[in-house]
Amino acid sequence: MKRPLYLVLAVLLLIPTLTIGYRLIWLQYPLLPALPSGVWQFSVKADIKGGEKGLRIAVAVPLNDEDVQTVFDEQIASGALDFSLARHDVNRVGIWSSQADNLQDSISYVAQLLLRKRKTKSAPPPLGNYPPEMGEAEQVAVEKLAARWANLPPPARLRAIVESKEHIWQPLPPQDPARQRWSEIQQKNGALNTLVILCRAAGLPARAVQGLPLAEGVYTVLLSWVEVWTGSQWENVRISTGEIYPGAGSTLALARNIPAIQLLSGSVDEAQWTLTRRPVGGWNLYFQRFAGSDHWLDRWSLFRLPQEFQDTFRILLLIPISALLIAFLRNVAGFPTFGIFMPVLMALAFRNTGLPFGLSVFVVVIAIGYVFRRALNSLRLLLVPRLSVLLSLVVACLTVIALIGNKIGLRPFMAVGLLPIVILTMTIERFFVITEEAGAREGLRTAAGSAAVASITYEIIHWESLQLTFFLYPELIAFVAALQVMLGRYTGFRLGELSRFWVLRKNS
Amino acid sequence: MLHVFRELTAAGVLNMNRRNAEYIMRYNPRSAFPLVDNKVLTKSLAEKLGVPTPQTHCVVEHQGDVSKLRDKLTALGRFVVKPARGAGGSGIVIITGFAGNHFVKSSGLGCSWDELAFHFSDVLSGIFSLGGVPDAAIVEALVEPNPVFAEVSYRGVPDIRIVVYRGVPVMSMVRLPTLASDGKANLHRGAIGAGIDIGTGLTLKAVRRAKVITHHPDTRRPVAGIAVPDWEKMLLMAAAALEMTGLGYLGVDLVIDCRRGPVLLELNARPGLAIQLANGVGLWRRLNQVEQAPLEVFATPELRVAWARKTFTVQSAAAI
Repeated sequence: MKRPLYLVLAVLLLIPTLTIGYRLIWLQYPLLPALPSGVWQFSVKADIKGGEKGLRIAVAVPLNDEDVQTVFDEQIASGALDFSLARHDVNRVGIWSSQADNLQDSISYVAQLLLRKRKTKSAPPPLGNYPPEMGEAEQVAVEKLAARWANLPPPARLRAIVESKEHIWQPLPPQDPARQRWSEIQQKNGALNTLVILCRAAGLPARAVQGLPLAEGVYTVLLSWVEVWTGSQWENVRISTGEIYPGAGSTLALARNIPAIQLLSGSVDEAQWTLTRRPVGGWNLYFQRFAGSDHWLDRWSLFRLPQEFQDTFRILLLIPISALLIAFLRNVAGFPTFGIFMPVLMALAFRNTGLPFGLSVFVVVIAIGYVFRRALNSLRLLLVPRLSVLLSLVVACLTVIALIGNKIGLRPFMAVGLLPIVILTMTIERFFVITEEAGAREGLRTAAGSAAVASITYEIIHWESLQLTFFLYPELIAFVAALQVMLGRYTGFRLGELSRFWVLRKNS
Repeated sequence: MLHVFRELTAAGVLNMNRRNAEYIMRYNPRSAFPLVDNKVLTKSLAEKLGVPTPQTHCVVEHQGDVSKLRDKLTALGRFVVKPARGAGGSGIVIITGFAGNHFVKSSGLGCSWDELAFHFSDVLSGIFSLGGVPDAAIVEALVEPNPVFAEVSYRGVPDIRIVVYRGVPVMSMVRLPTLASDGKANLHRGAIGAGIDIGTGLTLKAVRRAKVITHHPDTRRPVAGIAVPDWEKMLLMAAAALEMTGLGYLGVDLVIDCRRGPVLLELNARPGLAIQLANGVGLWRRLNQVEQAPLEVFATPELRVAWARKTFTVQSAAAI
């Protein structure tokens, strides 16, 4: 008796452990696949106008870099233009072009971004060159200025450079040649580029960046800042205030050392950038991943199903959990429900209406049905015709509710047509029989139990993180089955029995 | 909460999960269930083996036959209508007479032929049957109960439930109708259950819902200490149900007819657990005692009854 049980349990636990372990370790699946934070939708839109010589515009888009962020689900609207994506150095640009004369069009680029939490592990970036327009003499002068910070560790060096703007020159007389040279550079290059040049001279890789603050919003102007490598990570320097802050997690860099929008010919009427936080955007990310993989486990992934069938399986895979819950409620808690899996069907029906509307429609229809069933009793109809009459009543109720919903503009009321009418009918009959035989209290208790289980089931099957986890690792069903098997061998008391047999407890 | 759990286990109380998993599923083969779930089959089997059951007047299987019954039932006057696959006593109507133009139910209320015919139709459509499948209606002779329990019953027919495990009667009670139960011997409807000592055949204290009582709520007579007539014979009938059905764990329901003596009313493959409350004793402990009984005890009904009467008596008698 016991040995086959343990064997079944071992198999049910071992198979998912092995396959999930294999996926995690060898195939590098994520441990917490449904981590919902860090997914953003980025979009840039512009109205453009071409000149006589045609049109060519390059717009910086987020970099697809494993360490910083993953870009997926890119959608490009190019109208009559040609489009290409190019990566060069630390930038990625979308290039729209056309040979046609005096073209007017709208272009847009939309993509989902998964921002990585971890810091970059990459090696220190190369120091880079001075801007080409800077002469030899200027370079010497700047390096001479920067020599004073050479002994400081990089983070302190950066702070000193930033502060230099305000006070470091004070001890020098204004006519000191070094200081005069510096003023010239600053006037010529502007505050932002001066900081880049100064960092370069002090041996710190730095670059001028255009991008967006990492916050939801619509932007018509990009933010500018300077990125400086301080030995282990990039720090951002806000030019206006001199504030130094870590770049990761607070800004989205778009263009480094280049303008965010480069026009080779033509003009831009209006450019608009949008950032939106996506609660869970993981689905498409994985879809992308499996579409490109050749491993047999990936090829057999549910993500390979056509999109329209995937939705069903998201829900389907979670139903065993609610069956487990019902088994627990019945055999351990001793809580009654109408029928065994009726609450599951109820929860599925609520998918179209939402939980509050679904439940209230259920309550209303069953209340009407109960009154009707009571009246029907005196007509002495036989079972099947009687159930048919109830079915007609249910359909009529739902029709009226839909018409009312239409009148007052409540869409969920119109979605009730898809509620399983047969379940409603049987519930009315069962509710009536229980109320007749065991009293109204028992009937209401059973109704409350069913509603509670349906609500919990509804929440479970709509929990997107759980959906994603089971969709990625369908073998988790074996785990659920193992728990169901264990529950099936539970031969202890139900909670309700403790009070029922209370009087017997002193007989040991 | 956990200590109640442990105390109940220590007291040898049988719970529903254990009953289902370790007794019903292990000892009651599914194939034998129809024998007990369908009273028509139970009765024909019992008659073949010479076990007395209430006399069957007729079995109605088709809706078309209902209208033909009118004259016959009017002539009979006293009878019981039962669904063949009914559960928990639902769908049973007891007619005690025919007065003028209507039948009289056990509750004393009148019942027209139309109402009775409607009830037959309900039974045939399966409304009372397990799983709702179409059913048959049995018209039986009304049992005239032995007056031994008359002082502790309100109308109705008291019946005796004996739980039999591997052919050994392990626990017993008599279900006494009350006003609240509408004269029906059904604990769910408010009838009281009085434990019967397997060894002596004497009634013990009684239980009404989950509360222990000493007197019948309507007649106010004490329920304990009544000697059940033909006790040995009833125990033998119950013990023989193992050979009759092949079910290792079942409830045997008997009534005592004042002329014919004990008759088999029905068998139940899923006997309830309330019998423990009526006896004030846990059933699980007794089932374990049966498991430890020497093998030769199980050979015949007579040996099993003798062993049970010896084993399941003293503590019960002391518990009064």
